[in-house]
Amino acid sequence: MADQSDVWLVVPVYNEAQVIADVVRHALETFPNIVCVDDGSRDGSADAIRTSGAHLVQHPVNLGQGAALQTGVEYARSQPGAEYFVTFDADGQHQVHDVLKMLERLRAEPYDIIVGTRFKGDDSHIPLIKRVVLKTVVAISPRLRKLKLSDAHNGLRVFNKKVADEMAITLNGMGHASEIVEMIARKDWRVTEEQVEILYTEYSMSKGQSLINGVNILFDSALKTSSRR
Amino acid sequence: MLIQFLLIIAVVLLLVLFLRHHGTTKTAAGVKIGFVLFMVLGAVAVIRPQWVSMIAEVVGVGRGTDLMLYGLIVAFGFATINTYLRFKELELRYARLARAIAIRSAETPAATDPEKSAA
Repeated sequence: MADQSDVWLVVPVYNEAQVIADVVRHALETFPNIVCVDDGSRDGSADAIRTSGAHLVQHPVNLGQGAALQTGVEYARSQPGAEYFVTFDADGQHQVHDVLKMLERLRAEPYDIIVGTRFKGDDSHIPLIKRVVLKTVVAISPRLRKLKLSDAHNGLRVFNKKVADEMAITLNGMGHASEIVEMIARKDWRVTEEQVEILYTEYSMSKGQSLINGVNILFDSALKTSSRR
Repeated sequence: MLIQFLLIIAVVLLLVLFLRHHGTTKTAAGVKIGFVLFMVLGAVAVIRPQWVSMIAEVVGVGRGTDLMLYGLIVAFGFATINTYLRFKELELRYARLARAIAIRSAETPAATDPEKSAA
């Protein structure tokens, strides 16, 4: 297996004490560098991370997943030798072999960032409502169509140092996925996507964000002021 | 009716200006000037209600009270958006502060895992 010591996994964690240690241990078999950002969890996630062998960065208060990702990226990009970065979900729905596949492409091909997509190939395992909503988002977003991206809200992303250095997520909550797409367009990052499989376990289904939260995301994105860019 | 145009144009203009220039000194000053104007208009409306009625007649609302109500609704809307944006900005600063603290007190696995630090 190739040496993965220049790769950093960024895992935002919020109340995932049940599963986080297993997820991290499993990922550590392949990737030696993992930073877990505990976003003010109240269920002992931090202790679970301490036993797992990952780096722990702890928000003193709950800030939201977008803020946690940004914190993790800032921590990882300041580590010596860090060249490639992966955003990885804490609930075990992402798979290490997908990450390896994406990293291989990022190393070999001229891209800055590769995002996971659930919609290349067979997507029948995705819950129907989720499929309809996510596809609608893509259909009505000119930016996504221009970038030829089919899945804006996939948490699995692999990117290089350039992208990590320029990454500046300002939406603390769940609006960060659209914000990252917007950054890709604005900063001209070379982007492509890769087919990944998301494991919809009962646990991840119960933790996943509800579709009604899309209303919040739309609202936050619409009222984002330009002065902050 | 004239009032419909005035209200819609006021709302659209303010919204665009707001979202584009929020957070600059100019807008902050603009908001304050707007607030003072609003207070002055309120005082005038109390002292000389017939003036308000005259303006209302001109723009096509009918009664001065209705004009005041419309004005109030627009002002309230913008006060709300202003507060919302201010909160978002504060949230962002607060996140940066928390992030700085978090990164400063990061724990590496060697420091937390007794097995590894012993080895």
